[in-house]
Amino acid sequence: MSLDYKLKISIPFENNNQAEIAGNSLRPDPILKADEMTVDFSTDNEKLICYFQGVSDRVIRVAVSNVLDNIKTIIECIEQFEG
Amino acid sequence: MTVDLDKFKKPGKDYYLALGLEGSANKLGVGVIKHNLGQLSSENRAEVLSNVRDTYITPPGEGFLPRDTARHHRNWVVRIIKKSLVDAGIKGTDLDCICFTQGPGMGAPLQSVVIAARTLSQLWKLPLIGVNHCVGHIEMGREITGANNPVVLYVSGGNTQIIAYSRQRYRIFGETLDIAIGNCLDRFARVLKISNDPAPGYNIEQMAKKGKHLVTLPYTVKGMDLSMAGILSYIEVLAKDLFSSNPKKNKNLIDEESGELITPEDLCYSLQESLFSMLVEITERAMAHVQSNQVLIVGGVGSNERLQEMMELMVNERKNGSIHATDERFCIDNGIMIAHAGLLSYRMGQINDLKDTVCTQRFRTDEVFVSWRDD
Repeated sequence: MSLDYKLKISIPFENNNQAEIAGNSLRPDPILKADEMTVDFSTDNEKLICYFQGVSDRVIRVAVSNVLDNIKTIIECIEQFEG
Repeated sequence: MTVDLDKFKKPGKDYYLALGLEGSANKLGVGVIKHNLGQLSSENRAEVLSNVRDTYITPPGEGFLPRDTARHHRNWVVRIIKKSLVDAGIKGTDLDCICFTQGPGMGAPLQSVVIAARTLSQLWKLPLIGVNHCVGHIEMGREITGANNPVVLYVSGGNTQIIAYSRQRYRIFGETLDIAIGNCLDRFARVLKISNDPAPGYNIEQMAKKGKHLVTLPYTVKGMDLSMAGILSYIEVLAKDLFSSNPKKNKNLIDEESGELITPEDLCYSLQESLFSMLVEITERAMAHVQSNQVLIVGGVGSNERLQEMMELMVNERKNGSIHATDERFCIDNGIMIAHAGLLSYRMGQINDLKDTVCTQRFRTDEVFVSWRDD
């Protein structure tokens, strides 16, 4: 199955360090159904780039919603505990 | 114990502080523990600096589902961590390490908490320690009660195991073949629409105190193992009959001796008596096998006083027998036990790299190498 559906989202943080932290926190967890879906996290200066590729828009939707939920926790942590 | 727990101490610091994050089921717990240098002993106990918990409570008749439980944890985790640090009177950067439950448990709730652990670890530049939930219960129970080398009965909503230590592993002598005892009690509570606040098992325990008639239920001990799914199905049928508008003439619903009607309280009482007898039987056999006279009860169901009482009756008949149990602060899932067990492995040099912090739903107690004991 080819991963024809692609989506790139870019999330701005205050600085590159925060974006790196977010990427490092998200990266370890394996994607369920690895044959239907891949997610790559990278940073571009202060931005976290999440690149989703999947076999359908449905699997991408599920993955995006999950990643956003996790990012909310990460942002809350940074907001409350940084420095 | 002769292992050296201070090989990795920080220069100029004579204590360790660890944060523990637990979220493997419907409880979200965060705690801070303090160890002073040197072996833990009756003169050098671990010190609980804070122990905060928030429980996701569902309406009567409903269990907690992974997705909703994960959402609860995500909503609360940062606030609970904050409260835990305030209670302990410390800053995040005062800590030595961050410990989290790596399994066993429900996947989504575990994952929702480890995300916070990873972020904090990077913000505060602290190592992460993955902890086996069962080992957390065992180590906390040993520390709180002072039981040195007990047979451990671990009874909770997700686990039912009888465990004894041998050669740096907590070995499972017997366990449930199907559902856990807490799961059996919780699901029975759902049939009777018993409240889940503060916990279904607690409410069953209170109702059982008013029960008078013992209804005969299946008794399913298989060697050192137990089976509880059949008992649950059996009592569910009985319970449904109680509420049916057209009660069948089922002789099980009338007490044979007195001719009185069986009440929901009687069913709670009967279920507890049957299940707990099974636990007592395998515990006694495990004690005989390993020639131990100490029993330690851990896990949420371990806070049931009737279970403690029945176990005590058995233990008292054995020579020099002693029973150890903790109260709900340490029995029911909590963050402090994760901090304690995690700190023990940290002091022995365990550190999880970020890539090794993936949580797992299945993580057996005997997979953990108990480096901090060598008796």
